[in-house]
Amino acid sequence: MLNIKNLEATIDNKHILKGLNLDIKPGEVHAIMGPNGSGKSTLANVLSGKNGYNIKGDINFDGKNLSELSTEERAQKGMFLAFQYPLEIPGVNTNIFLKTSLNAVRKAKGEKELDTLTFLKLIKEKASELGIEEKFLSRQLNVGFSGGEKKKNEILQMKLLQPKLSILDETDSGLDIDALRIVADGVNSYKNKDNAFLIITHYQRLLDYIKPDFIHVLSNGKIVKTGNADLGIELEKTGYLNLT
Amino acid sequence: MKNFYNFKIENIKNLSLEEKNSRKKNLDLFFQNGFPNKKSEDWKFTDLNSILGKNFNNIVNKNLIPEDKRLKAIEEFEHNFIFIVDGKLISSCFDYEDKNNVIVNDYNYKDEIKSDTKNSLTLLNNALATGGFALEVSKNYKFRKPLVVYSYFSKNLNESIINNKNLIILNDDAELTLINYTDDDNKDNFMTNITDKIIIKKKASLKNVFINHCRCNGYFYRLIKSDLEEGSSFDNYLLTSGLKFNKLDIEINHNKKNSRSSIFSALNLLGLEHQEIKTRINHNAPNCQSYQKIKNVLNDQSKGVYQGKIFVKNIAQKTDAYQLSKALILDNESEFDAKPELEIYADDVKCSHGSTSGSIDFDSLHYLKSRGIPKNEALKMLINGFLNEVLETLSDNKLKFFLLEKLENQINGN
Repeated sequence: MLNIKNLEATIDNKHILKGLNLDIKPGEVHAIMGPNGSGKSTLANVLSGKNGYNIKGDINFDGKNLSELSTEERAQKGMFLAFQYPLEIPGVNTNIFLKTSLNAVRKAKGEKELDTLTFLKLIKEKASELGIEEKFLSRQLNVGFSGGEKKKNEILQMKLLQPKLSILDETDSGLDIDALRIVADGVNSYKNKDNAFLIITHYQRLLDYIKPDFIHVLSNGKIVKTGNADLGIELEKTGYLNLT
Repeated sequence: MKNFYNFKIENIKNLSLEEKNSRKKNLDLFFQNGFPNKKSEDWKFTDLNSILGKNFNNIVNKNLIPEDKRLKAIEEFEHNFIFIVDGKLISSCFDYEDKNNVIVNDYNYKDEIKSDTKNSLTLLNNALATGGFALEVSKNYKFRKPLVVYSYFSKNLNESIINNKNLIILNDDAELTLINYTDDDNKDNFMTNITDKIIIKKKASLKNVFINHCRCNGYFYRLIKSDLEEGSSFDNYLLTSGLKFNKLDIEINHNKKNSRSSIFSALNLLGLEHQEIKTRINHNAPNCQSYQKIKNVLNDQSKGVYQGKIFVKNIAQKTDAYQLSKALILDNESEFDAKPELEIYADDVKCSHGSTSGSIDFDSLHYLKSRGIPKNEALKMLINGFLNEVLETLSDNKLKFFLLEKLENQINGN
């Protein structure tokens, strides 16, 4: 589903990713762990098509060359990034944003756009699964939301858009233990044999709830070690220092 | 510069000799300086003389006979209306109100016309004004439904100027929501010069909305002078995007204690539009509040100007005055000029002002795009989010939704 070969990324003359390789197949959950500054968020930004990066190497997503797709096309073709810091957007109503987003994706897939009533019924159902109160949906997008509420809102968007590949960038940061469980349940209930996850995280914590098939250690812009779920537990004990 | 205008009192019909003379006096004073230019502090960022000189060959005050126009009424909410074509009162309807409490007439020019102003457009208006309306609301009368003033223009207005005056009086404890609705896609090259006089008496309350429905090529100047008495309130919402040139010149006089006023503006300027909002808030009495929030989005070689002055007289203690201007500039050829000013002679007051301008937040844009929303649509969502905030304080939900929808249309360039 996602195949990255020799990816290099530079921003403001800083060489951050230095030849990264990764292969993710449908049904798999991959975790990327690594110390601060190893390039984890850069990888998420590059995959989402954020401007400002100078990129070398190949990224193939679901049979397409990713570099030829704009940010919105990537989303429309089934890539989703749950942001580490979801943006607060004043004046944009959450429900209207969600509906616009869903309909843009549906339209791109050639599906019928949802009318307001059908949409509201759907969003109400999805929100309640994540314990999001309805009143949040009529507020301005992420404005004044707590850290946990913002992250739940990201997972709500994921469940709404039903992406093939979900990239969760530090989704566990800023979550208390209850919110962490809700977010993890949200991911686990969405997981199936046809979609895949790339979980970017500092800590083992989230991986106690979402069991990865592979853990990769990113250090200094490269994957230096790959293992199964046990690698995370090991890293929690030994730290990253030995690996760099 | 060549002379690009030719104004004659003789073109106005049925004037008494006295009227002719006082109008002549105003016109002579206008001719001394002509249209204002950038040498005047009030026109520093909008050189009207050169703008008109570039776009007109010979502006004249014709004796206009308004075309027979059909009113396209707003369907979204029930309302009363006044129907204006070329500045002239054509008809009015107050079916939702108790008619004994509302008087509307043609503006009466008989007892007006002084010449004690430095504003040359006011002098010109004094000299040439015809048409317009006078509206008076009785003591204690609260309008049940809003009043929409529809403005239309005839064809064949090329190279002409329309001058008129309106008078609005709200007596003690009266309440009115007034919507000035310009619904005309006239592509003629013409100018309007309107003077509104608004008197809001004790504890009366006026909401005054300016909204433009179509794109129009006219050059609009409007002076709105208001006097506020004790405990009265005056709220303004300016949504005039779509006019090629527009300057709203708003003067609010807090003449008696405990009165309050606000000016909210949301403009999305496109395609060489030039719009200026100039305000002067005079705090002449204690314990009054004024609030201004001016938001502009500039794109496509447009120009926006905000000149806002708050004046606080020495006796106006406990004044609470606020002004904020925020602009989003979306291309390199657009320009926004802001000149906020405070002039304070009282020592126990709360006054603040601020002005910011910047470009769109690219992280926010990226966030929306990452959810599959195409760039143009995402941009419009952000612009809308930036502007629609100024309508938050409107309590009439039907009106609010209507204005939000109009604002969205303006952002979509309709």
